Amino acid sequence: MPEGKAEYLKGTLDLLILKIVALGPNHGYAIAQRLRQMSKDFFQVHQGSLYPALHRLEDRGWLEAEWKDTETGRDAKFYTLTRKGRQHLEAEVVNWERLSEAVALVLRAVE
Amino acid sequence: MRWLGRLFRKSRAEKNLDKELRFHLEQQIADYVARGMSTEEARRRAQLEFGGLERVKEEVRDTRWETYLENLLRDFRYAFRNLRKDRRFSLVAIFALALGIGSCTIVFSVVYSALFNALPYKYFGRSVVVRLNTLVNTGLGKERKYFSPEEVRAFQKQNHVFEDVIVYAGFRPAYDNGHFIRNFANGTRVTTNTFDYLGVPPLLGRTVTKEDGSPNAPPVFVMNYRLWEKEFGGDPKILNTSFTLNGTPTTLVGIMPLHFNAFDTSFWQPFRQDQVGGSLMGRLKPGVSVQTAAADLDAIAHRLHKPNPGGIFPEDKFSISAETLLDSLIGNFKETLYALLGAVLLLLLIACSNVANLFLARATARQREIAVRATLGATHGRLIRQLLVESFVLAVASSAAGCVLAYSGLKVVVALIPAGTLPEETVIRMDMPVLFLSLGLTILTTVLCGLAPALHVLQGELQPRLAGSCKGTGGSFRHGKLRTALVVSEVALSIVLLTGAGLLMRSFFVLTRVDLGFDPQNIAYFQLNLPPSYFFKWGDAASIKSSLEKKNALTRQLLARMQALPGVTSVSEFNNLPPLTSEASDTIIPGKPHQQRWETIIDECSEGYFKTLGLSLLRGRSLSEDDMSPARHVAVINQTFARTYFPNEDPLGHEVKFGNLDLPYVETPHNIYFEIVGIVGDFKTRDYDNPSWQTVPHAFMPYSVAGYSWRSFMARSATDPYLLLKNFAQELRALDPSVEIAESGTLESSLHKFYRGPQFELVTLASFAGIGLVLVLIGIFSVMAYTVALRTNEIGVRVALGAQQTNILRLVLLNGLRLVAVGALIGLLASFGLTRFLVSEIPGVSATDPLTFSAVVMVVVLVGLAACVLPARRAASVDPLVALRYE
Repeated sequence: MPEGKAEYLKGTLDLLILKIVALGPNHGYAIAQRLRQMSKDFFQVHQGSLYPALHRLEDRGWLEAEWKDTETGRDAKFYTLTRKGRQHLEAEVVNWERLSEAVALVLRAVE
Repeated sequence: MRWLGRLFRKSRAEKNLDKELRFHLEQQIADYVARGMSTEEARRRAQLEFGGLERVKEEVRDTRWETYLENLLRDFRYAFRNLRKDRRFSLVAIFALALGIGSCTIVFSVVYSALFNALPYKYFGRSVVVRLNTLVNTGLGKERKYFSPEEVRAFQKQNHVFEDVIVYAGFRPAYDNGHFIRNFANGTRVTTNTFDYLGVPPLLGRTVTKEDGSPNAPPVFVMNYRLWEKEFGGDPKILNTSFTLNGTPTTLVGIMPLHFNAFDTSFWQPFRQDQVGGSLMGRLKPGVSVQTAAADLDAIAHRLHKPNPGGIFPEDKFSISAETLLDSLIGNFKETLYALLGAVLLLLLIACSNVANLFLARATARQREIAVRATLGATHGRLIRQLLVESFVLAVASSAAGCVLAYSGLKVVVALIPAGTLPEETVIRMDMPVLFLSLGLTILTTVLCGLAPALHVLQGELQPRLAGSCKGTGGSFRHGKLRTALVVSEVALSIVLLTGAGLLMRSFFVLTRVDLGFDPQNIAYFQLNLPPSYFFKWGDAASIKSSLEKKNALTRQLLARMQALPGVTSVSEFNNLPPLTSEASDTIIPGKPHQQRWETIIDECSEGYFKTLGLSLLRGRSLSEDDMSPARHVAVINQTFARTYFPNEDPLGHEVKFGNLDLPYVETPHNIYFEIVGIVGDFKTRDYDNPSWQTVPHAFMPYSVAGYSWRSFMARSATDPYLLLKNFAQELRALDPSVEIAESGTLESSLHKFYRGPQFELVTLASFAGIGLVLVLIGIFSVMAYTVALRTNEIGVRVALGAQQTNILRLVLLNGLRLVAVGALIGLLASFGLTRFLVSEIPGVSATDPLTFSAVVMVVVLVGLAACVLPARRAASVDPLVALRYE
């Protein structure tokens, strides 16, 4: 991932992970893959950021983890969004939209 | 609580993490293989991307709670190791903090017990006692606490300020304990709601009930624990038996617990409902102030005011005042406690700055270590936390030591508190709130002492510290300044503390070395307990006369027998044991009208009074034996009386009347004018509440005039006065075996009780000041020693360039002295401002007594110099070769 993107990602990684898990329970690798696909390769999150974030979100009770078999029959840790996590996500999405709108308004202003 | 569980199932969590990360890695490899890479190539690439497995694990672990805990544990272990390594530092710091915290805990305990937990009564903080003060010259006493039944009823019914009111009145009945009749046991009549009001349940039996107050209820009483223990050995069988009180069979219905001693009495008896008169105590409604209550009662009293005869609140001009029960019981001691509280906080400040100083010195010495740690990646937060943990460990150790100190010290302090300053019910001990307060102080101390150096260390560039180049530069940069400031403030604080102690000491000497004007040595005294056979009936003139004659005959015979004993120089009957005075009497001199109240202390005594006390006759004649038997109306006055009321006149031959002898309950013939026949020298007097000595107008009349029931005797002896007391008791028994000696002793020993209050304050404050001084000594020493260590290099250069040992010695000493001088100056200024709060505690000494101030400065400067001597000598003996290689 390019240097510049790291800064954008820092605050929003939690939000993005929550959003992806909201689409359906998934394991860490798949979350990283989907994040990359959905952002058209913009976000390439490294394991050193991904797993601390997953564990942090689990600690806060926003995610729940469960060991399950994958389609290929392998044992993997699947993360699910909790009710608390969903509430948090909704609130954060609203916040984010407001913020980006506001930022866009300022940036688009005609000089 | 998941993290807690995980803490215990750590290995499983680790295994799962490993499994999760490996799964990721293998998925990645599988992906690459699916995209057409060879297995080898895919594995290599995936691993490269993943980075170190362990590093990722570490980052995940860092998000967890248990890691935080682990680090904290590690910090604690590290702190212990560090403190053990630097044992001298740790011991000095613990010692200083323990002294500060220990002293604080002691004083807090005393203050808490004496002010907030003093009495075992319900809501005692809202209990107030009421007093009526006369404002003009009426011939009656200056104040009274006794209210007539009618007045009591008015207050009870009409007040708007009390939730509940109780009334109590002392009486001294003759009571038959089954073996012998004891006269004058202390009893108190109380309203039937008293025990409910105070809220203390009985130890045995019951207290009085409402029914006990009805006019035809069988008489009952409740007994004090001490009397029960003393006379009945704590036998519970005496409950519900009948005793004879003042000739009436009365049933003992209850015994109160040890720490219930209301009204300082041996037993409590209910008032009959229609006869309630006495002192008044009320519980304020919540939110009502003492002043409001006094104003309310004052309004009631003035509305009902009706002069005698048969009046209610008959005084001409008066006011009603109120004070809290606690204030009325401990009075002046409160100020002593506040002074101690101030002193001990100063002490704690000194201890804190001392410890902060030690920390700072150490932190500076550890700059390199800290710089290395920071460079190796320790965050600032982590470093600060570690320093804080260290001071926390230190604080816990010192608070443990402080508690031990407080526990043992408290016993000493309690033993020092003079009897009678606190109510008997007050138990001084270390309570939970006090302990919590002390622990809170410890935490605060920790933050204060630990944080400043921690922040200090992290300021500025790390690089020069890493290079270690600051050692040679003389230690005079920023930390040096903060440390200097700390030492200066320590010196200043100790000056304030010492000045307070010094002033008290001076005052104590003034108090004890005062020339009283009489010679207290070799004087024995005793008081009599007269049995009812000496009593008279109220209003019965014949009975009063015969009682008076009987008492006077006893006095005369006893005086003669005492005088005849070998070793006795002179004997006298007296009223007030010098130097104590009783209530002053209103003074009326014909031809001298006055607006202000003229006051005189009056003493009825026998002719030997002046000789026994060693008072010199200045003019006229003394009282003689011939004045006694016929009860001549003559008086001898003191110099102050003459000077005050006869400023430009010869008082001899004038007549004077004393209001107190005309009080309705005084069994003297009323309206007597005494002829002044002589003037004697003054002696100093004082009353219980006022600690200062004063000379007041004083008059002496023949004892035979007034028929007081209390009779006291004193004798001057050529030998040990104590030996005489036994002989006096024998003579008394020979005269009338029914008369007992109530109280006896020597005049000199009775004087000591006046010194015990100031002595307590002096001893405690002086020991605090002493501790403060020791701490200052440590503080100056550590800073100077440290500065010398920092400047070893510079000193080496100086010596190499030809400086003499004396030069170096002077350099260091002057340096230390400068600190002390600045501190002393600030301390002196602060003392000038602060000692005025001590004014009420230091009678006889000015709050800015120059002698005390200069002595204190001298002591502190000497101590400061002493603290510098060792480091200075070490500096002077520096070997330039070693010093230059010191880097």
